[in-house]
Amino acid sequence: MNEAVSEQKTQNAPVLSSRAIARRMFIAAVALGVALLISLLVTRYLAYHEVQANYYGQALVPAKEAFDFHLVDQDGKAFQLNQLQGKAVLFSFGFTHCPNVCPTTLSDLAKVYRALPANEQKIVQVLFVSVDPQRDTPALLKGYVPYFDDSFIGLTGTQAQLAEAAKAYGAFYEFVHDSSGAPDSYTVNHSAITYLISPDGKWKLLYNFDQLTDSKMMIQDIERVLAGR
Amino acid sequence: MITRLVFLFLCCISSIAVAGNTPIKIEGAWLQAVPPVAEATAAYMRITNLGQTPLQLVGASSSVATKIEPMITTRSNRNGQEIMGMEGVEHLEIPAGGILELKPGGSHLMVMGLVSHPKEGDHVRFSVRFAPGNQQIDVDVPVLQQEPK
Repeated sequence: MNEAVSEQKTQNAPVLSSRAIARRMFIAAVALGVALLISLLVTRYLAYHEVQANYYGQALVPAKEAFDFHLVDQDGKAFQLNQLQGKAVLFSFGFTHCPNVCPTTLSDLAKVYRALPANEQKIVQVLFVSVDPQRDTPALLKGYVPYFDDSFIGLTGTQAQLAEAAKAYGAFYEFVHDSSGAPDSYTVNHSAITYLISPDGKWKLLYNFDQLTDSKMMIQDIERVLAGR
Repeated sequence: MITRLVFLFLCCISSIAVAGNTPIKIEGAWLQAVPPVAEATAAYMRITNLGQTPLQLVGASSSVATKIEPMITTRSNRNGQEIMGMEGVEHLEIPAGGILELKPGGSHLMVMGLVSHPKEGDHVRFSVRFAPGNQQIDVDVPVLQQEPK
């Protein structure tokens, strides 16, 4: 049995050897590729952890170019994110018929904003983007958003503009109608995330709803971003 | 006698307490202040069922709104981002000896059809309803801008 096998091997040896070389080269190439991939992943993982360790929010590594959304502000004027170059921007998506998540988010952000020194307040802007333009007109947003802080700006837009902005930030929202069937009787499930954009227009960080209550940590992040760190 | 004294003591330390057939304690009630354009807001509180049988929070009434109903907050995840939504429920269960915590980002009493818009520092009166039976507890609810710490 053994003999038979070894004989067969010898017979096939010359044919196999060129194939074997190709195979070995292939294996070496794959091994090299895998090693490169692993080192790349490890480098990125370490870089991510280095950046992440500096922040309270979840860092985007590398920071992305913040999508320059085109919306409408609470005065009915065209508004685009790039208008705020030079300022750190905190914004979230929501709707005013939201009794729990949205007023809490805006109250938390107002607390953070008011705890900033006056010179930093001038270079920090909080925005609230309503994804419910059917009910949230600019006039209504003007009555709602600045209530939490005079400096806050409410935005909305067409369904297409809002969908584009949400998509760019990985946000999601959906309208859920209740059993009454009334056209204005619905709620909106939405990403309860606050995004932080740096003064040079990079999307650096994001915060979960529950993170906003810790003003001290939020301010630490905002000041790091303002300092360009 | 001792239990009665305990209840009386609880009455004194919490914002309001015991009534009806089941002893219930309500503490830390507050209403989220919202601007005059808002049609809805939420009320939060901690409810303890001091009785031996389960209780259900079914709603509340107040002169500030036309409808006050229990709601739950739903949380799910998409693209690594948390999606929050809310759902009306018939009632919120409080097991015997258990506590129901209504708080931002969680279950709450949704206050709909606001008739007036009380400001921070105001106090409003809520009549909180429980089942079984038609137990009602009147609670003094301060209006706040921020969750008290």
